[in-house]
Amino acid sequence: MDDKRARFEGQVLPHLDAAYRFARWLCRPGEADDVVQDAVLRAFKGFDGLRGSDAKAWLLTIVRNCHLTAAMQQQRRAFVPLPEEGDADDGHVMIANDANPESETILSDQKQVLDRLVASLPEEHRTVLMLREIEEMDYAQIAAVTNVPIGTVMSRLARSRAALKAKWLQEVEGAPRAVR
Amino acid sequence: MQCAESLRVQAYFDREVDAVSAAEIERHVEHCSECRELLLDLEKVRSALRGGISFDAAPAALRTRILQTLDQEGATAEAANTVTRLKAHAQRRTKGAGGRGFWSGAWSGIGVAAVAAAAAFFFVVPSLVSPLSNELVSAHVRSLMPAHLIDVVSTDKHTVKPWFAGHADVSPAVADFEAQGYRLIGGRADYIDHQRSAVVVYQHGAHVINVFTWAASGARSPANTTRSGYHLAFWQQGDIQYCAVSDTGWDELLGLVRLLREQA
Repeated sequence: MDDKRARFEGQVLPHLDAAYRFARWLCRPGEADDVVQDAVLRAFKGFDGLRGSDAKAWLLTIVRNCHLTAAMQQQRRAFVPLPEEGDADDGHVMIANDANPESETILSDQKQVLDRLVASLPEEHRTVLMLREIEEMDYAQIAAVTNVPIGTVMSRLARSRAALKAKWLQEVEGAPRAVR
Repeated sequence: MQCAESLRVQAYFDREVDAVSAAEIERHVEHCSECRELLLDLEKVRSALRGGISFDAAPAALRTRILQTLDQEGATAEAANTVTRLKAHAQRRTKGAGGRGFWSGAWSGIGVAAVAAAAAFFFVVPSLVSPLSNELVSAHVRSLMPAHLIDVVSTDKHTVKPWFAGHADVSPAVADFEAQGYRLIGGRADYIDHQRSAVVVYQHGAHVINVFTWAASGARSPANTTRSGYHLAFWQQGDIQYCAVSDTGWDELLGLVRLLREQA
């Protein structure tokens, strides 16, 4: 294996799971695989341009760009793909198994509700929320990945957190409440 | 109505403010019930998301497909390089020992020297700075490969700790902090700094944290650092050197460090 490939596998590929998680939240079901593959290939081609140490933020930025490009192309063709068989597969969950089936069931119900609520947020809100809470990135990294100023990151984060909380209350208590 | 300080309170919650602003915001929160409630809400949303949302790892088939694409890409690039080399060679031969040959040769010589200097800067310097950090990041990345993470799978510290007795040169602190979001998932033996190292493995949301431990060599603990997007937090306790490695945020990584230090 040549040197560039070895360095790429050491520095960038460890973030493949993060790239995939991120693409799953950005894209329609069934599109994440292609977007991630496209992004990794572009990352490899442009790898010499990577300076500094933040390979993760860099890879996620490319994932987002690939997603935007793909979305634009689709809009141009006005092409709406039909859901395919296997689109709705659960994938495998990374968390280690719990020995308690009862609490597992309750948890998986909650997970489904939460997944649905997050999916219903506008894309730019969902993106910052996931980058902060799941990828645990700081404001500067999120600003780099989403290509907006830090102030915008902060206001989007605030709005998405408030919206998620309001939706959650609506779902659990069945009564609409004022959004704080 | 929303308090004008709410964005600053959020920044405080995300640990994005310096100590002076943090103190100001804490004073404000004492008097503002709205912001107190906001802090509680932020914590609720965070713990719901981190504990409750599904994270999918990249499917194995996708990983394989990507590696294949990279193989092809590597092969194409190599073929292109060969073609360029052959063309250059042919050009040199047709030009012969013409007047321009010397100058282009001279310029390319300068180019080679600059590239060599740049290469020395980018590759030699970092490895001189800290081979240990590179070793730790490599071991962390290796552990994320399938089936390398854990030698002893257990969420019980009374299983993990004794296991190290026969497999490593040190006996590190082992504890489960599931309530605080750091779940003990097992242990592993590794080889760091020429010693058999004990590694305690935690899961924090979607992230794996490896806590490496080995016998302190008497030198001062290295400074915390970041390599390839992974944070490394070092500390010493008694005669054991600890290093926690992960791609979590600093805040989350240092949270585990704090818990481990308090617990010992």
